[in-house]
Amino acid sequence: MEHLAQGFLDVLTPATMFWVAAGVTIGYVLGAIPGLGKATGVAVSIPLTFYLQPVAALGMLIGIAKGSAAGSAVSAILLNTPGEPSSAPTALDGYPLARQGKAQKALKMGLFASVIGDFVSTVILIVLAAPLARYALLIGPVELCAILLFSLTFIGGLSGGSMLKGLIAACLGIFFATIGLESETFVPRLTFGLLELDDGISLVPMAIGMLAVAEMIVQAGNLKKLDVETQAISDSSTREDNIVTGAEWRRCAPVIARGTLVGSLIGILPGLGASVGSFLSYGMTQRLSKTPEKYGTGMIEGVAAAESADNAVVPSSLVPLFALGIPGSVIAAILIAAFILHGLTPGPLMFQQQPRLVADIYAAMLCASFIMLAIGYTCQSIFAKIIRVPMRLVIPGVLLLCCVGSYMETSSIFSIYVMLFFALFGYLARKLDFSFVTFLIGFVIGPKLEFSFRQSLQLLNHDPANLMKHPIAIAFIVLTAATLWWLGGRKRVQGPSAAGDGGAVPATDIAQHRKGGSQT
Amino acid sequence: MTIFTKRSLLGAAFGLALAVAGGTLPAQAAEGYPSGPITMLVGYGAGGQTDLVARAAAQVLSGELGVPVNVVNMPGAGGSVAAHELMKSKPDGQTLLFHSNSVVNSAPFIMERVNFKPDDFEYAGMITAYQVGLAASKDAPFNTLPEYVAWAKEHPGSSYGALSPEARMYINRIMEKDGIQVNIVPLKSGGEMLNALLGRQVELAFSGGIHFRNPDELKTISALTTFRQPSAPDVATIEEDGYPLAMDTRTTLFLPKGTPRDILDKLGAALKTAVTDENFQKITESANIPIMYLGVDEAYAEMNSTYEKHKKILSK
Repeated sequence: MEHLAQGFLDVLTPATMFWVAAGVTIGYVLGAIPGLGKATGVAVSIPLTFYLQPVAALGMLIGIAKGSAAGSAVSAILLNTPGEPSSAPTALDGYPLARQGKAQKALKMGLFASVIGDFVSTVILIVLAAPLARYALLIGPVELCAILLFSLTFIGGLSGGSMLKGLIAACLGIFFATIGLESETFVPRLTFGLLELDDGISLVPMAIGMLAVAEMIVQAGNLKKLDVETQAISDSSTREDNIVTGAEWRRCAPVIARGTLVGSLIGILPGLGASVGSFLSYGMTQRLSKTPEKYGTGMIEGVAAAESADNAVVPSSLVPLFALGIPGSVIAAILIAAFILHGLTPGPLMFQQQPRLVADIYAAMLCASFIMLAIGYTCQSIFAKIIRVPMRLVIPGVLLLCCVGSYMETSSIFSIYVMLFFALFGYLARKLDFSFVTFLIGFVIGPKLEFSFRQSLQLLNHDPANLMKHPIAIAFIVLTAATLWWLGGRKRVQGPSAAGDGGAVPATDIAQHRKGGSQT
Repeated sequence: MTIFTKRSLLGAAFGLALAVAGGTLPAQAAEGYPSGPITMLVGYGAGGQTDLVARAAAQVLSGELGVPVNVVNMPGAGGSVAAHELMKSKPDGQTLLFHSNSVVNSAPFIMERVNFKPDDFEYAGMITAYQVGLAASKDAPFNTLPEYVAWAKEHPGSSYGALSPEARMYINRIMEKDGIQVNIVPLKSGGEMLNALLGRQVELAFSGGIHFRNPDELKTISALTTFRQPSAPDVATIEEDGYPLAMDTRTTLFLPKGTPRDILDKLGAALKTAVTDENFQKITESANIPIMYLGVDEAYAEMNSTYEKHKKILSK
């Protein structure tokens, strides 16, 4: 990689650095604003980069993608409204921390986890792009089906207080995902004659309605109490609560390492995406923890797990794009057009034809990680003040941005109807204590599992014996069975006390809140 | 950003309509055209092949006409949602749709509730062609469609990747005619299709042209167009091999019904400069998209003839 040194020389010019920094900043702010996310940010910015040098343009676009993945943690932590679905697990522990007056701490942990995940994953992309992409090709639909099944065993633990309600929410998620053209025979399912529903319910407006709008409605109904709490928070700022302590670093280091690994692997596999990465990492961390029942009440590890994986997905999802020309994620698909516009055709020939431009982009990506740290750190102290703004001033602005974000993807008012429908749905889910996290998982993973299963049936020529030719799939099926057996066994042993734990969760929640208030 | 331009544009469009109503003859419509920024709808999301060509073409049009051309992605139902939106727009040339003509000449025979006809729109020209074909791994034991059929006969239960109803139609007709048995593996996108071919999950796959990106690993078995494709001139078309199933699709500039002819001519002339535009050539070439320009009259003729032909092929 003698090219990489040259790459840094090319990138470390004021002009290029300016655009990369601009990209990261735009991304970070877009990500932090509920309703606007990385896909919209990158898509809208492509025309703006027409007039830039290729390196500056591509560095800026990748900067937006990276920055918004990190920024989405901000609104998740401060407002309980994830900027993107993939930051939903961040809110589970980040928001309770913020209400306890530890917003700065949670934001810092989120940022550090994001930067580490992002940086390590970028290094993986640079060092291992070609060989890893070859291995990723071994993962076909049959293997993918087994991996998805395995990931469900971990994610099942995210259902909150009641397993039954969590499962019901997951089923509803799968149900809504069935809307649209069925992908094998192209029969429209449940579209009620609306052409707009042919491609199914789009994740972006659905998630905005469910996560952001619904949360704003809930908080609007809670204004008095929140105002009192906000008052209390604004007075509490001991140093302990604003930094990440050494002990917390030690607890979070393995969590971040695991999250980075999970995120990087999920990114390399085609079609899984950042949401699966962060949910899986959070789920694993909770499952493997000694105190799983405390998750959801303000465990700093939860923030670290979700954010490190969320950000690690972004660079590694470029692995199949760079090495094979295959877009591994929505971001990668949008970037293809940008790359071609700027004279770089993603694919195996890229490294031979334009090694210098590739090296430049790698260098720009590494620089973007550090810029992200600097910008995130600066912006955070500003953003953190949001939590001291009375909610009645925050809510209208957030609602406006939600509408803008929903509209932008399809340029049609229909997306706003979708958003409103799921806002109502999300509101009822919150009030009745159904987990919207499992709903999202059902919505995201359910259809992928169904589709890969149907692909597998065809690929295996309808004969289960052919499964023997897919050792990776068999390994994951065995792992799934073992995990289920282990989980079942643990439940049986802890039977009586487990029920007690379930009851204790809300109690701790309230206790923690009180504690947060009394520290003033 | 696009939202605000769109709003100001609506105002501009309204002003122009008033001017027309106020006595200006439609024959002189092109004189004041374009009266403001043009909105270019694209029926696929940002980042696809069509979007790429659309944005490059928008740059050319903008340079020729001297007004900004704003690309608005309105994905849904293979472009039908955007086409419906275009139908609702004023026929003044300020709103146009850049899309594959498949939304008119194929979609009505494939999708329920889509019933566009060629004379629902006006056309200002066509610019690039899609190199649709059947692709396989470079070391596959067959090079042509007849060789594939012979191979598939000896290997029943092989796999074929299909990402659209047309893709299924092709293999179904081949299976019917030659009595072979192939499993159809559904795929969601061009990216997934590449993955399946490169990972040897499927032996053959339908491709919208994206497979030319990997010339060292993939080869074209059959061209599904009426013409031999510039990126693979040695590969026979499916019609040469005796199956009357070739269907041509091209990126087309659609306008609302009733747009004056001189506006179409002006747009068509502006589009034609893309053929020699250096940047447009560079972009389409690096994406393996051949430029095949058709003028206004030719575009109408192409639309009508392909509509009738595809109707026969697809509604069997």
